[in-house]
Amino acid sequence: MNEGDLLRSARFRREREADWQRLETLVSEAEKHGVQRLGFEAARDLATLYRQATTSLAIAREISLDKGLLDYLEALTARAYLSVYAPQERVGGLVARFFRDSAPRAMRRSVWYILAGFLCMGLGALVGYLLYFENSAWYHVFLPSGLAGGRGPEASTGFLRSVIYDEDPAVSGLGAFATYLFSHNTRIAIFVFGLGAFLCAPAILLTFYNGLVFGAFVALHVERGLGPDIGGWLSIHGVTELSAICIACGAGIQLGLAVLFPGRDARAVALRKAGRDAVKLAIVAALMLVAAAFLEGFGRQLVQDMGARYGIGWGVGALWLAWFTLGGRRRG
Amino acid sequence: MRFRRKTRAGRPDPDVVLPPEGVPLRLEIAGLGARLGAQITDVLITGLAAGSLHVLLSALGLSAPRTLTALAMFLFFVIRIPYYVLAELAWNGQTLGKKLMKIKVVSHDGASLTTHAVVLRNLMKEAEIFLPGTLLLTLDEASPVSSSLALAWIVAVLAVPLMNSYRRRMGDLMAGTHVIQLPVPVLLSDVAEAVRARAPEKPGDGFAFLAHQLDHYGALELQTLEGILRNAERRDLSPAAHRAQRETLAAIVGKIRNKISYPEAVETPDHLRFLRAFYNAQRAHLEQRQLFGDRRADKFHGQDGTGNGAKKP
Repeated sequence: MNEGDLLRSARFRREREADWQRLETLVSEAEKHGVQRLGFEAARDLATLYRQATTSLAIAREISLDKGLLDYLEALTARAYLSVYAPQERVGGLVARFFRDSAPRAMRRSVWYILAGFLCMGLGALVGYLLYFENSAWYHVFLPSGLAGGRGPEASTGFLRSVIYDEDPAVSGLGAFATYLFSHNTRIAIFVFGLGAFLCAPAILLTFYNGLVFGAFVALHVERGLGPDIGGWLSIHGVTELSAICIACGAGIQLGLAVLFPGRDARAVALRKAGRDAVKLAIVAALMLVAAAFLEGFGRQLVQDMGARYGIGWGVGALWLAWFTLGGRRRG
Repeated sequence: MRFRRKTRAGRPDPDVVLPPEGVPLRLEIAGLGARLGAQITDVLITGLAAGSLHVLLSALGLSAPRTLTALAMFLFFVIRIPYYVLAELAWNGQTLGKKLMKIKVVSHDGASLTTHAVVLRNLMKEAEIFLPGTLLLTLDEASPVSSSLALAWIVAVLAVPLMNSYRRRMGDLMAGTHVIQLPVPVLLSDVAEAVRARAPEKPGDGFAFLAHQLDHYGALELQTLEGILRNAERRDLSPAAHRAQRETLAAIVGKIRNKISYPEAVETPDHLRFLRAFYNAQRAHLEQRQLFGDRRADKFHGQDGTGNGAKKP
């Protein structure tokens, strides 16, 4: 059978079929072992043959009515596209870059959102503190009984002091670490971030409420003359933990504002743009929560001295601040 | 289970991705069933890993009874977060569950999948899937307010993928990704080529078609015929199926002869040969018309006066 006998589209197919089959083997190899494992020639051929296949597909759509061929080319080109445009970053370099550059830069870019988060928490704490001194019954309104653990306006000063300086030794080490990580505050942080993505107001309200709890709790101890002691007890992990909640709130506000006021973009686009920084803030907040759980699980029992508690808590806080302000600045 | 997706006029087809080369590629959106299956597989895998690690820690005496649940949750958390991110980075948008269900994450704009997108869509998974999941487990009759809030959250999260035609969840929307079904390339033989090889056109033996006889059908009918011819090449049919196929072929030959008013009768053993010859002639004709800008989608191509093959309702 001579070539001229064939249909134009059949000739088109016959001329290119070998290339397509080579591309198919290259693609399956790349999918199985990754593009990084391909040899130089194979990688070069993959890119070239992929571009040839896209051209073939465009031509075939115009000149051929062979459905078998069209379906094959569609699928082959799509598979080749997925291997050629695969992410090619190394995980190690990625982690290093996050800590060195992108996280502190994102923190500095969203400084106003984070300050708004701190403002929510701070106002909440102030209101909680003042309301407690007005009427100590407010304490029970703000604090769920499970969280208070027997520490309320009825408790004796001696009991409050014993909780501050004498932890229950039954829960310690790794188990305690895990318990604290999944305690109240982590859940709050996740909610604050997630709710921010859906709507702005719940994130702000929840942070404010958390501030109320914090304020009432401090006020109770201040009233009993345990102010500096509770300060130390809270400082050792609270500086890190409460900052993490505020940062999560800042990220939530950022997302919520993008949904509420997308500006010239479509909402989905605005959300995506805001997400670039918000997700880094969320990761930073998560890291801080893990660090806080570590401090709470191990540090709080090992360190019983008030001064040392202050020192560790605020020292760690200063380290975080140094990372955020000094990290990722270009030299020169 | 696969819900029907609405495609509104004027919107781009959700099954098409435009790569930087500028040739639109067809990558079908993955069904919700496949995605659910992949998710369940991944949860099982990570849950199993966390469970065995937990047993190991207990055996080593590192956990106390009081903190059993917290430790289990913590291990699950610590294993699943890097699992999703690293798996999708290493396997180009696929976790083990997704590999099993043959689905894949792609970038919405056709560029390559960025690390940021992978991290973001998997972190949002925490807020979208695992938080509602734990909420569902801890729903409490005693606190109706928080239960209804949890329920509202779950409904809202589930509603997002149903509301958009790309079936994207919140994390996909933020990361600019969507999930597609992996296409499988299978190169079938060219039906037209088979015709020439088996039936060399000798005068008197072959079937000849005139141009006006080929003006009746369009691409849809041609490609349907192609499918039938491919099916007719199968040799593994039972006698009953074989008979049914012969009857189908006879019916098709009758319909075509009637439609194009083909004068000569076609004997039963020649049915397949006739259809092959007709397919060949029809395809040559239609491809030539297409080269001249006359694209015929189906047999209704002449009816709207433009010759562009508008479909009948």
